[in-house]
Amino acid sequence: VRSLPFALFTRLIPIALVILGMQRTIFATYRPAGVAVQVVLALAAAAGAGAGSERGAFAGFALGMMYDLGVGTPLGMSALAYGLAGLTAGYVLSITPDPQWWLAAIFTAAGAAVGEMAIPLIKFLTGQEGWLTRKLFVTIPVVTIGALILSPLFVPLGRWCAGAKRRRWRVMLE
Amino acid sequence: MLSSLSRRRVVVLLILTSLLLITLDRRGSNLFIDKARQVFAVVVRPFDIAAEAVSKPIANAWYGITHYDDVRNENVALKDQLAQQKGAEIEAKTAINKVNEILKLNRLNSVRNYKYVVAQVAGDAPSNFQNTVEITVGSREGIAVGMPVTNGAGLIGKVTKVYADRSLVLLITDPQYSVQAQVSSRADADEGSSTSSSEPSNTALSGRSKDTTTSESTTTSSSTTTTIAAKNDPGSTIAPGGVPTQTSTSSTSTTLPGFEVRRETGDIDGQGADRPLKFSLIEDSAITNVKVGDTVETAGGLKSLAPQSIPIGTIIRIDQGTGSRSPIVEVAPNASLVQLNFVSVVLFVPNQAAI
Repeated sequence: VRSLPFALFTRLIPIALVILGMQRTIFATYRPAGVAVQVVLALAAAAGAGAGSERGAFAGFALGMMYDLGVGTPLGMSALAYGLAGLTAGYVLSITPDPQWWLAAIFTAAGAAVGEMAIPLIKFLTGQEGWLTRKLFVTIPVVTIGALILSPLFVPLGRWCAGAKRRRWRVMLE
Repeated sequence: MLSSLSRRRVVVLLILTSLLLITLDRRGSNLFIDKARQVFAVVVRPFDIAAEAVSKPIANAWYGITHYDDVRNENVALKDQLAQQKGAEIEAKTAINKVNEILKLNRLNSVRNYKYVVAQVAGDAPSNFQNTVEITVGSREGIAVGMPVTNGAGLIGKVTKVYADRSLVLLITDPQYSVQAQVSSRADADEGSSTSSSEPSNTALSGRSKDTTTSESTTTSSSTTTTIAAKNDPGSTIAPGGVPTQTSTSSTSTTLPGFEVRRETGDIDGQGADRPLKFSLIEDSAITNVKVGDTVETAGGLKSLAPQSIPIGTIIRIDQGTGSRSPIVEVAPNASLVQLNFVSVVLFVPNQAAI
């Protein structure tokens, strides 16, 4: 298991730059049902599902900071939301140390939903009204399904980026 | 060390750090944050270009295959529309030239007095909670924060962040966007007060929110004396947009019905991407002077984000309001903000207080 700061600088940041480039171009242009699929958020949640709540929260925070710097959203807003996404998704390791792929996918999707929902809430709390609208009933499901579909690829990638290894049960031999 | 923190401490640390950063960023221009954004923009640019270079040809080819018939039909429809527009364009150009001449004669500012920079829209906002577009011009081309951005149809937003070779434009539909606007409505002939052509009148200019102008079309037969009313002449008639009108003293042979032009001022606010704009009149009572179909344009002025007379949209709904509920006027933007391609940044630097 790598230390978190080492993994963040050598693994997460280079991968995040590629994913952010995709977010700013492909996923900003092609929007299913008018909603931009949030790949950076999916990676943040997947890092939590793969590496646990604490590492997921820090990975999500770092990804959110990069998103804020790259996209022009208020600095710290996506960092907080994506940190919460990683934290939420990481609860899967509280249930089982080695989750099945589908269980990790469900928690990744749940983390992405929490992260996406957190953004309009934070905006509302910081005085930027007008985002808690009915459109959220479309936005959140699309982002959640996007994270669900990407999770088989992103959970191992997120675990590697957060410097963790998959835990396995070993049979003790006499 | 970081990952050994308890879950509760991680949450507290994250929230506090984020709130600190949000507060610093929301307080306005922060040298450290601005510099960090500029450096990051340079770092992330090659990744953007690479992602676009890989995805665009594939996406275009796919679109061409799957939408071939639609593209052909659209092309035919656009050619028809273009032919129809050519006639209207000549008429409009003549009218614009006349207005510009009047403005020039009276040394009044119009949006056409400002230079502009043409830009291409590079992409939509990657976030679902941001009504912005990125354009391909930046500080190198003289772009500054606050400048209004238009397309052929009207106002589309303002520049909010400027980098060396690109800028972010906040669209008019964003809830954070607000601009001073005016609506010019032409009352029906029977509603307007009739005046004699030989007596130029200045009908009630009640404060900022309502300018009423009575003008009259006349055809002259022989000796016609035309005078341009002086800017501060108390007897002059002020047209919408604050332009003094020509007052003709003539021997009239035929008089066409007079009409009254009312101007109401207020603020236009965005309400979100899929919703119309909200027009808040300065005086609620002025609601009776506007009607569905009236056009709304920027009001200009020292504290405005944009110069006068940039078209914004058309009034589509008026709710008079009952009891303590304020009246609501909704405006559909002229410009289609869904698929923007080429836009113009008007090199008008608004007052810092307006930004």
